[in-house]
Amino acid sequence: MAGADVTSREGARRIVLALEAAGVSLVPTVPDTWIGWLMEPMRASRRLRVIDVAREEEAIAIACGATLMGERAAVVIQNAGLLNSGAVIASLVQLYRVPVFLLVSYRGDVRDPVYYHAPKGRATEPTLTAWSLRFARAEPTRIAAQVAQAYAFMDETREPFVLLFSAEDLA
Amino acid sequence: MSVPRQAWLSALLAALDARDVLVAGLGGNARYLPHMAPRVPHWALCDSMGAAIPLALGMALARPTRGVVALEGDGSLLMNLGCLATVGAARAANLTVLIFENGAYESSGGQALPAVTVDFVAVALAAGFRRAERLSSADELGAALAQGRSTGGPTLFALPTRFDPAETIPPYSERPDEIRANFARALRGT
Repeated sequence: MAGADVTSREGARRIVLALEAAGVSLVPTVPDTWIGWLMEPMRASRRLRVIDVAREEEAIAIACGATLMGERAAVVIQNAGLLNSGAVIASLVQLYRVPVFLLVSYRGDVRDPVYYHAPKGRATEPTLTAWSLRFARAEPTRIAAQVAQAYAFMDETREPFVLLFSAEDLA
Repeated sequence: MSVPRQAWLSALLAALDARDVLVAGLGGNARYLPHMAPRVPHWALCDSMGAAIPLALGMALARPTRGVVALEGDGSLLMNLGCLATVGAARAANLTVLIFENGAYESSGGQALPAVTVDFVAVALAAGFRRAERLSSADELGAALAQGRSTGGPTLFALPTRFDPAETIPPYSERPDEIRANFARALRGT
């Protein structure tokens, strides 16, 4: 996060535009600090409905329900919540092949200076690999393309996709 | 006094509107439903314990013009009790939650739930449900659903359900791809 001007939030606005362009209408979410920054423009969107959720597994199930009814959803959670969600990913998303897009704040990776997030950061990518989840790290200049590619991937494969973002990506 | 599960289910199916959608949590409800030929799109989970209510909430939010009914067990709800707050906050007027209370983890052999009586009706009201009550007879369910529909939800009904360890519940009869395809087909047709 060093050097990132997170107060401008241009990256957050790009993410919101990318979700809107992908046709997303529902955003179930559990907050963290970075997600709080992302939610400011998200809640201002007229095309996205933010649903505040008590726990991350619920957010994923809500997105599945919306998807089954023909809507597009995007789950926005921290990687701690993603790590909580192995059972619902395996037993709902993967078992029934209901594709869900997960936009995940990547706490504890090399760009995050907060020491107590480090164990989650170390566990995140190996866990995603172990769960056979396709994922990518957000690239601020390509975020719209990444989101569009994620939904195209999900449409073709019925598999979920995880996009990991850092505070720098919101700047 | 508790009521046999099938009596609750029969009363429910008789009371449904043609555009309703059913979501059943894992266990007895999900195993019985496909054998009872519901006339509406239905999604019966064979796993995903605790996911029925948020799955139904997603459907309800996506299609506000359809009634969505979630069937969940008391053990499954305890696994995910916070979801009632999520439902209350989302103010999904078209969502009805039915809690089948039998005090047991029936699917895994009938083990007892934690030894405390949780008042799910009180929890639901405290979590922002517009209406919640405990029914005592299957005969009451149709009128309760109709009233919930007219006043708007979210609504929760607690259904005291008889647990009979000797009951022969049919096995899961549909596979996941089949469930998804049948649901999509039924949705298109209603």
